Amino acid sequence: MEIEEKLALLNYKTDPEYAHITVNPSICETCPDHFCTFACPAKCYTLIEGKLNFKYEDCVECGTCDVACSHGSVKWTNPKDGHGIKYKFG
Amino acid sequence: MSEFDAIVVGAGPAGSSSAIKMASGGLNVLLVERGDPPGSKNVSGGILWGKDLSSIIPDWEKSAPLERYVERKVTSFLTHDSEIAIDFKTKKFQQDKTGYSVLRTRLDGYLARKAQQAGAMLVTGVTVDSLAMKDGKVVGVINEGETITSDVVILAEGPNPRVAISAGLREKPNDKTVAVGVKQVYKLPENVINDRFNLRGNAGFAGEYVISFLPNNVFAGGFLYTNKDTISVGVVINLETLRKDGKTHSFDIMEQFVQHPYIAPFLEGGQLQEYSAHFVYEGGYESLPKPYGNGYMMVGDTAGFSFSNGMILQGMNYAISSGILAGESAIEAKKDNDFSEVSLSRYWKKLEVSPAILDKKNFRGINSVVWSGLVHRTIPALLETSLQNMLYETGAPKKHLSQILLKSMSSTGVSSKDMMIQGYRLMRRM
Repeated sequence: MEIEEKLALLNYKTDPEYAHITVNPSICETCPDHFCTFACPAKCYTLIEGKLNFKYEDCVECGTCDVACSHGSVKWTNPKDGHGIKYKFG
Repeated sequence: MSEFDAIVVGAGPAGSSSAIKMASGGLNVLLVERGDPPGSKNVSGGILWGKDLSSIIPDWEKSAPLERYVERKVTSFLTHDSEIAIDFKTKKFQQDKTGYSVLRTRLDGYLARKAQQAGAMLVTGVTVDSLAMKDGKVVGVINEGETITSDVVILAEGPNPRVAISAGLREKPNDKTVAVGVKQVYKLPENVINDRFNLRGNAGFAGEYVISFLPNNVFAGGFLYTNKDTISVGVVINLETLRKDGKTHSFDIMEQFVQHPYIAPFLEGGQLQEYSAHFVYEGGYESLPKPYGNGYMMVGDTAGFSFSNGMILQGMNYAISSGILAGESAIEAKKDNDFSEVSLSRYWKKLEVSPAILDKKNFRGINSVVWSGLVHRTIPALLETSLQNMLYETGAPKKHLSQILLKSMSSTGVSSKDMMIQGYRLMRRM
């Protein structure tokens, strides 16, 4: 099963105005490992033609990328009031 | 004058237990949860071990949304082609239940309702952005620029405690203090689950696995728990080895686990309901933060209370017990009207003689064993080779077990001296 099919099972209340995680593209550009692209279970981090692409909308709020990035690019906060992932089972 | 006696940040098992205790003791409590409803942000394997809820909810075994009680406990090594397991089933667990499988959206909702019934005010869908501080003391919480004040704040944020971290009350998680848990829930008819796992009634299966077949040296554990009509299955991935490898994806580890020849048949025909991920707290005694200070206490995963020795994964029980102890401490502090660090050190005194701290202390260094090459590669390979050699009937005269073991050791590249030293360390730490 692909990640897209798995994420399609989930409910989100996406915040269109606030990205609770941001990355610093100038740091990611020179990153030697891009460990985030292997660590994030939701595959929010992908390399497209060698360039890091990040989408906060698919985030399941595990916190892994914040630990994975040892270069200080990831800024992690909780989504604002009631936004983000909404598990049915947990 | 504060608006509340206590504000609890996070309505998981730790926060809600604390709120129940405090509200029952007459305190004016606000329980703030960023998820809406409670539990919707939370993930656990999960088995609720022990009976810590009894003191705050005497009838919890009847009223809580428990899925199945654990009657069959499996501890297992998975290699690429094989499974070597201890499969412990006992009717003794039917009389005296040791643990229950739970789903967090249901359990957390139940506990939050209990907190409300005890008199706590619950607000959901509200994210605490930071702590309100005054003269070096925590005096409340801040949401969207507005401050709500309290005499004490209980931080029950789970293993990724952003509020506590940003206030500098504890360190950011790292490769050694957290592992990544990835989980899937499958739907299957109750009778199919019963047949497949050899269960009757609401007896349940709890399996924990060493996943020793991953490429290179990535270490991960697996779990599989039966619920009423769903199965929770997941992996716990060691970040240190995942990083060192740098080629394996966390997503693929989950896939490889559910596709293993001895896991896949359990899930066959099951409909995937949910994919989730969450930190699993892994830090040892050395990395425990100081769980109290002027105007605050930390409980559950936020304070680092969890335990794993490879045989068992526990967290919710410590969450509940630490939440209750913090609640008790807040009630006593209220009587003295003193929420200073000195007054709240009573929480630490209670913790020090409780399993939350004693288990950490007594099993100091357990993580270096749980996440070792010995457990994740050497032992499974050795067991597999030995059993294969022992059971493969060649028609030739049979060999003694010791000869088979020695032969297996040499073919898997382990020296007997190494094995003795490492085995001894493993037994001592476990």
